[in-house]
Amino acid sequence: MSFFGFDTTLPRDRGRGPGAPKGFFENSDPFAQVALADKFVDGDAVDFEDTYDGLGDQLDDDQDEFNDDTFGGGGETAPVGRDFDFFGRTAGVADVIGEEQVRYSLQNPQAAPAPAQRAAPATAVPAESTSRRTGYEKYSEPGYIPDLQAKSSVWTQKAEPTPAPAPAPAPSRKIMSLEEVEAIEAQMRHRGQPIGGLPPQQIPQSMADLYQRHPQHFPTLPDGFPQLPPELQAQLEKGGMPHPPPGMPELYGGPGPAMPPGAPFLQNNLPPQNMPPQGPRHAGPPQGQRPQNMQQQPPPPPSSRAPNNGLPVITNPQQLMHLTEEQRNTYLVEDAKRAKRNHKIFLLSRGNGLMTPQDKNFITRIQLQQLVAAAGNVADSDPEAVLAEDFYYQVYSQIRGAPRQHPHQPLGHFAQTYLLQTGNRLGGNRHRHPLQGADNHMQRMQQQVQRAVEAAKAKPKNKQLIIEGSLGKISFSNAKAPKPMLNIKRPDSSEGPRPKKVQSDLSLSDRKSILTNIERVYSALMSMEDMERTMPPPPEEGDADAIQEHMEWRQKLQSLNQKLWKALKVMEPIVPNSTTPHPFIAFLSHPKGKKAIPRIFRHIDQEQRVTILTMIVVHLDSLDVVRLAQSIPGEAQPSLAVREAIDLFSLAVMPSLLQYVNEAPFNIIIGLLGLVIAQTHVQSVARTKVGLGILTMLLSRAELVKEAGQAPERDWQQWVEKFNVLFDTLEPVLADIFPGSINSGDDMYVWQFLAAVGIGASPEQQQRLVIAVKDRVMETVGYSKSLPADMSSQRLGNVNLFMRAIGLDVELLG
Amino acid sequence: MADTEDAGASVSEPLDLVRLSLDEIVFVKLRGDRELKGRLHAYDSHCNLVLGDVEETIYVVEEDENEEETTRTIKKQEEMLFVRGDSVVLISPQA
Repeated sequence: MSFFGFDTTLPRDRGRGPGAPKGFFENSDPFAQVALADKFVDGDAVDFEDTYDGLGDQLDDDQDEFNDDTFGGGGETAPVGRDFDFFGRTAGVADVIGEEQVRYSLQNPQAAPAPAQRAAPATAVPAESTSRRTGYEKYSEPGYIPDLQAKSSVWTQKAEPTPAPAPAPAPSRKIMSLEEVEAIEAQMRHRGQPIGGLPPQQIPQSMADLYQRHPQHFPTLPDGFPQLPPELQAQLEKGGMPHPPPGMPELYGGPGPAMPPGAPFLQNNLPPQNMPPQGPRHAGPPQGQRPQNMQQQPPPPPSSRAPNNGLPVITNPQQLMHLTEEQRNTYLVEDAKRAKRNHKIFLLSRGNGLMTPQDKNFITRIQLQQLVAAAGNVADSDPEAVLAEDFYYQVYSQIRGAPRQHPHQPLGHFAQTYLLQTGNRLGGNRHRHPLQGADNHMQRMQQQVQRAVEAAKAKPKNKQLIIEGSLGKISFSNAKAPKPMLNIKRPDSSEGPRPKKVQSDLSLSDRKSILTNIERVYSALMSMEDMERTMPPPPEEGDADAIQEHMEWRQKLQSLNQKLWKALKVMEPIVPNSTTPHPFIAFLSHPKGKKAIPRIFRHIDQEQRVTILTMIVVHLDSLDVVRLAQSIPGEAQPSLAVREAIDLFSLAVMPSLLQYVNEAPFNIIIGLLGLVIAQTHVQSVARTKVGLGILTMLLSRAELVKEAGQAPERDWQQWVEKFNVLFDTLEPVLADIFPGSINSGDDMYVWQFLAAVGIGASPEQQQRLVIAVKDRVMETVGYSKSLPADMSSQRLGNVNLFMRAIGLDVELLG
Repeated sequence: MADTEDAGASVSEPLDLVRLSLDEIVFVKLRGDRELKGRLHAYDSHCNLVLGDVEETIYVVEEDENEEETTRTIKKQEEMLFVRGDSVVLISPQA
């Protein structure tokens, strides 16, 4: 048979029967038909039957028997032969080698723990790998994730191919540093021993060997080059030289360039000529990594078996006999060290194997993506970006006073922590063990992360890439900036079809523009709060840069302040008798407007504060919390929404105003009281909680100023005048300023107001006051007797606020 | 904190209109014959919403024996509600 089912019998062997297929040249006259066709050149149309040579009819269609064998079709699937299963063959030998190890360790009790443990992975892995046939099984697994390999084309620096996570052989590999090797060589030279049995000039050649023997360390492996399974590699290293002659150091004893072609691992061998391209291809590895490369090259080939301190590899107990006493001692000491180390590794590796390589790759990929996304920010060291990412956490931790060394340290950055940790760890160990197994893994990870971060940074900023000749676009995305599904161009703010409707004054107070104003205020507020966070440290004397920075910062803050102020519309002209409320009052009519006041007050100066207070006082009548709070006859109290608004105003706005008033100069208080009297309907204002609250605020401040003796006589006279006007205006309605009926509860603010009036009042006014509210006092005292003790004392306490202000007490009422 | 830019308040995209209704009572119509009325606490670009003091109205069409369709409404009161954006049909300010 033949491979493709062709008839391979030679022509001479072939039957000459009529049905026998003929080759082209066996045809009686291949060109006869051409000649035939020529005959028709001048004739009619060429007839198909005339020109058809009938070759197709001669085809033999019945020799398809082996097609299925060849192409794998057919009903039943014949077992595939294992002729090419090099891996499996080698893995089979691995068992034998592993057994050798176990045997040796049993014979050599001192070194027992070490080889036993080392043998464990060696035997365990082949056992699992013998079932492997093609190496492609994993592709059929659901959820298979290909190995994450750092491709040199992507990671422009030092492409040390990342082997698939293969913890088994790695930990036992030990490579000496350049210093160690030199020390050993010097030692041996001192003893007159030939170095490694080879003259020095052969070292370069041996370095080539090194590359051949350890292709996994060879930096120029082509991308996607199939990697030998690590365990197999270990086998090959041993298998290439099963029993080194006793006494012959294994230093350069690996399979040389003269290895017979056809050796299975030769496919991994790269000719030494490939070495030069290493430089240009990976242009400019960073300085930090170069020396490390250098360290890897000169030392003897790392054997996975032996510590390699110029000692032979002991694979056979008999070898021990051939060693000198000194060598044997050294060997045993080394072995003890190794055993200790391996025990440590064993302890660390208890959880090994819980995750499949696919699991690990999956996790690694997620982590890398997170790192790239997060570390991108770290690189920017842009606090704005950090805030944007995690605003509430940042603010929360600021409030909580999280342990943060300096404000620019981004918090919660796994990337930074991770990189630093591994960095420290490696930094400490690097000199002693340049490529120690366990750290090697972390190191690779770290390098990969660094490269990933760098690649992410170097990635073009535009969000799309159009490869020449391709039909589509490639959109980049990461965790932070997901791939945009729609690409809508926003019109630039300067030009574009944005409707630039100039807002007329008339529309200033419609609902939408009020809401827009509120949003402007909030935007400005947030910008200012952000600015506050980025406040530069107070400049020191003579530090021009810092002063400059501070000035700029202040300027920016000032411009933001102006923006805020403009958005507040406080300075809009007051239109008397207008049906639409003033924009600022409209602003305050929204809950979010009220809530903004405390935040606004933090960012504006005293003058702006007094302007706001003045604005509120002037418009006290039209303020929603006053206007809607007028108790309608027949209804006990305003609606729920209004009550909520009043509460909110009392909680959000009043404290800010009070805080200002408590610091305000006396003349401003006088002016404000004058405004209340002149501009508002005092009697109706006094019927509301907010109105009374503001009056109380002003009166009590005046009283404090008087008691502190800060009021000049002339000012005080002015104040008393205004107070008298107020008192006279309010006297008739004093009985009506109480909310609802006696049992409605919350009337404390009224008593507070009355107390404030009472303190400032003259004795004559006090008498009038008592007469005006006497009924209410008596009612409340009487009512409180019917209440439980705590409520009763509360009500009486409220009344007492007033009574004591005028020098009385409820107790006196008996 | 994404909208700290000063352009935040000017209306340049549809969602800016929703922003105006922040902390206001809004009327939200949802798929599946549901309506919500509540205070808008937060929203995002997917129209995911957080509403407070919500009254949810569900319209149920029932067929009685005479094959006459009657509409029944179920009302629910929720203190706080997260509404996934993909069910939002419209958001309207409730002046």
